[in-house]
Amino acid sequence: MKSSFTFILLISITLFDLKAQESCFFTLSGKISSTSGEPLPGATISLLDLNTGEIAGTDGLFKIKNLCKRKYRIEVKYLGYEDKIIVLKIENSIEIEVALTESDQMLEEVVIADQYQRVEQNQTASALSGTALEQTKGMSLGESLRELSGVSSIQTGPAIFKPVIHGVHSQRILILNNGIRQEGQQWGAEHAPEIDPFIASNIVVIKDAGAIKYGTDALGGVVIINPPELPTTNTLGGELNLIGQSNGRSGTVSGTLEGGAKRFKGFGWRVQGTGKKSGDFHAPDYILSNTGYNELNYSLTTGYHKEDIGIEIFYSHFKTEIGILRGSSVETVVDLNNALETEPPAYTKDFTYNLINPHQEVKHDLLKLNAHKRVGNNEYTIQYGLQINRRKEFDVRKGKLYNIPSIDLQLITHTLDLEWEKSKEKTVRCIGINGMLQDNNNIGNTYRIPFIPNFNSTTLGAYIIQKVSFKKWILDGGVRYDYRYSKVVGYDPLNMLYRSTLKFHNASLTIGANRKILKNGVYLTSLASAWRPPHVAELYSFGQHQSAGSIENGLLLGDSSEIIDFNKAEYKNEKALKWVNTYQHNADKFQMEATAYYNFIFNYIYLKPTGVSTKVGGPKPTFHYRQTDASFLGFDFSLSYQVIKKVKLSAKTSLLRAADEKNNSYLYFIPSNRFEMNVRFEQPELKKWKSFYVESKLKYTAKQNRAPVKKTIDEIIQAEEAGETLPPFDFASAPNGYFLWNINMGISCPIKKSKMDFKVSVTNLLNTSYREYTNRMRYYADDVGRNISLAVKYSF
Amino acid sequence: MNNLLFKKAKQVGGILVMISLGVMTGCNNEDPLKQDVPEFISSVKLIFTPVGGGTAVSATATDDGFGSGNITIDRPINLMKNASYTLTFEILNNLAAPTDPEYNIGNEIEEEGTEHQFFFAWTKSVFSNPTGNGNIDNRSDPLNYNVEDKDANGLPIGLITSWTTTDVASSGTFTVLLKHQPDLKSNTTSSTDGETDIDLTFDVNVE
Repeated sequence: MKSSFTFILLISITLFDLKAQESCFFTLSGKISSTSGEPLPGATISLLDLNTGEIAGTDGLFKIKNLCKRKYRIEVKYLGYEDKIIVLKIENSIEIEVALTESDQMLEEVVIADQYQRVEQNQTASALSGTALEQTKGMSLGESLRELSGVSSIQTGPAIFKPVIHGVHSQRILILNNGIRQEGQQWGAEHAPEIDPFIASNIVVIKDAGAIKYGTDALGGVVIINPPELPTTNTLGGELNLIGQSNGRSGTVSGTLEGGAKRFKGFGWRVQGTGKKSGDFHAPDYILSNTGYNELNYSLTTGYHKEDIGIEIFYSHFKTEIGILRGSSVETVVDLNNALETEPPAYTKDFTYNLINPHQEVKHDLLKLNAHKRVGNNEYTIQYGLQINRRKEFDVRKGKLYNIPSIDLQLITHTLDLEWEKSKEKTVRCIGINGMLQDNNNIGNTYRIPFIPNFNSTTLGAYIIQKVSFKKWILDGGVRYDYRYSKVVGYDPLNMLYRSTLKFHNASLTIGANRKILKNGVYLTSLASAWRPPHVAELYSFGQHQSAGSIENGLLLGDSSEIIDFNKAEYKNEKALKWVNTYQHNADKFQMEATAYYNFIFNYIYLKPTGVSTKVGGPKPTFHYRQTDASFLGFDFSLSYQVIKKVKLSAKTSLLRAADEKNNSYLYFIPSNRFEMNVRFEQPELKKWKSFYVESKLKYTAKQNRAPVKKTIDEIIQAEEAGETLPPFDFASAPNGYFLWNINMGISCPIKKSKMDFKVSVTNLLNTSYREYTNRMRYYADDVGRNISLAVKYSF
Repeated sequence: MNNLLFKKAKQVGGILVMISLGVMTGCNNEDPLKQDVPEFISSVKLIFTPVGGGTAVSATATDDGFGSGNITIDRPINLMKNASYTLTFEILNNLAAPTDPEYNIGNEIEEEGTEHQFFFAWTKSVFSNPTGNGNIDNRSDPLNYNVEDKDANGLPIGLITSWTTTDVASSGTFTVLLKHQPDLKSNTTSSTDGETDIDLTFDVNVE
């Protein structure tokens, strides 16, 4: 492991000797606008020789740092405008203004640059930005990420989405919200990330394991939510979004206002807020009672940025109340059986905006302070984050207990990140330290033994990343070491106090390479190891959770009601080795990306149905956290081709084959194979109107044939009585494959310096009844039916 | 000005490090509050009292806590043949103190009678009255809910029921099912409606 890293260091040292050191700390900043002066947010600025780039912020502003003294070819693109290539000789930090001419020709969609802010290794990454991001406005974070190939979701009902990257989710995905690692109660399959996607100007998904800068847990990948850069000049801009949806009769209002100061160049501020309200969604044949939600989020940012210094303060508040299908609340296997067979589900009532139990109330506050300073070709960054996460879960309980949450947790997380980056023409080196303190507490009286205990943990990590460019190759490597110490105190199943102390430590390593092939191709490869300490919930949780009448048991819960001493347990840290290979081809009329990956996760922790326990309340399904070795072999492919002038065809597919390698069986909740066909027509100009498009999307989701088999309750009980061990099983079979047809349409109308955008989209146009394997609601009800969505955006 | 700002940034950074260190050492976790667990049912005792006097017959199912262990049932229900009994329950939560209102769950079921109903099933040969095999499979099958045993809406609860054994010795099973039917309970709701609170099957011998 160490030798490969030394190898990269050696290359870099050789390079230093060969080439005289040059200064590479110039900044190219500027504004992209149309010839009429209208800013073009989302325009891409690519450095053609470096294969890197940037995206213009809401006001069309952009900034590219670390440029050397030399000539650059810069390409600027924006949908509906003609491309422009500028050749610039950089001798100083400069500001430029680029005006793009509107084209009467149809241009390709905003091509996503290979590398973004915060993506500094050779990583297979995709991004939602520009038009693609605009089209997901109104969706939750997890739902919008499904637009990216290789990314899907685990759902609980129509509104709770958790992102899944290459088949893995929850604790195995790291989410960076504005540079801070998101820390909530992410262990639960129905705990969606507490982030308002309206804060983002682009969302990047890194699909390599062990994105080493960001800490442990990135076994499957990293989701990075990047807000736009703050304005630095005296401007005032903003946008207002209004979205209405027929399914759920929901409304969304989201606004942003930003500006600078006349007397204080470099100072900028932004205020942003989103409110959403939805009632019960409906399946084609019935109302999905109690699936509505209310959400209220806001954020404030202010900062000062100059060429070599910057300081920023960011605060955001996220609050949601979200219902869970009433008919999914069951107590025993018999109830579960009844629910599986009852359609429409029990308690199906008329449409309402009112929420009853089961439901969740979640609040998440984030305060971030960030400062960076450039000295020569060194950049120093310090970043502090404070997160306060409060989660209450209300179950269907009796009498006076109905209004008392059965889970009420507060998690306080402090993070401190220090980084030193030294860049030269051919090399970039990054050294950093991360510290994290967490304090998790059960709050108030829940009249339940806490589902997860209280804990305090301290995590420290350090990393070094070196990147070298060498002829047509860019090579990188990194190592990271982490240590976590936790103290746990909770109550066992007999309501007796227990305490324990946990220590975990491990190293991770990545190596990667990136090579240009001919004019339009890039090949990327990376091999990464990653690990994660277990979540306390995976070790100690027990009891019933969110009205699912099952009994969950952590890894340290024995068959008797006692807690196993951690040092005597057979627990081993989860470790992954992931190899990702990507080829990208970007020609004028034809773009293609193919990614093949293999991820082997040792000691994979998962929640496994283990049988039935007979309790006073009857036979209950039992689940235990178990460990196995898991493999994920997958292939993502996407291409788009401009058939004729205004018509573009595109196709996407994600294939995944996951296996439980120890038990020679299947894993739970693995997304099935997906295919998508898309035809898009664009008309950049229609008299006063601009950028008209209409697109038709046909999606096919195959049946998951590699799912654990269905066992009836009688079969489970019989096997238990006969003393047989059951193979991995599920309480229902995987649902059939399904086709969905979606239509999207949009048009813009410039009004002097401002702009109105209108969008109409119809999802599940044919009102198909279907069930999705990775939606936990599939046991009880069909998925959502046709939805018509109208969106208006005003930006100035 | 840059230098000044940088100094300020440094100061802020320094303060942050100090805050973090302070938190690191000062962050002493308090023990979570010990919770009463009123929803837990630790034991269900079936008490068959002979009509007209005599020694009551009982059998008890006991749960070991919130873990995944199974319940234990102490003995079968041993009844006399051709005899009439009144069935009552003692339903307890032993994780609560006996003085707590949460200790006796039977009282709570009675108070929330409009949300609860007991259903029963048995092997046909065991009882002569009620006839049949009970109302779990079919709600309208005969069952002798006591006239006193009604909720606020006049619907039966099932905390007191009457039984007469057959006149031949036999053995079989006896199932007690308590359903929680908030906003659902009516004179037609059946054993498949609502959530299950108690679902126990005992062996029964008629001698």
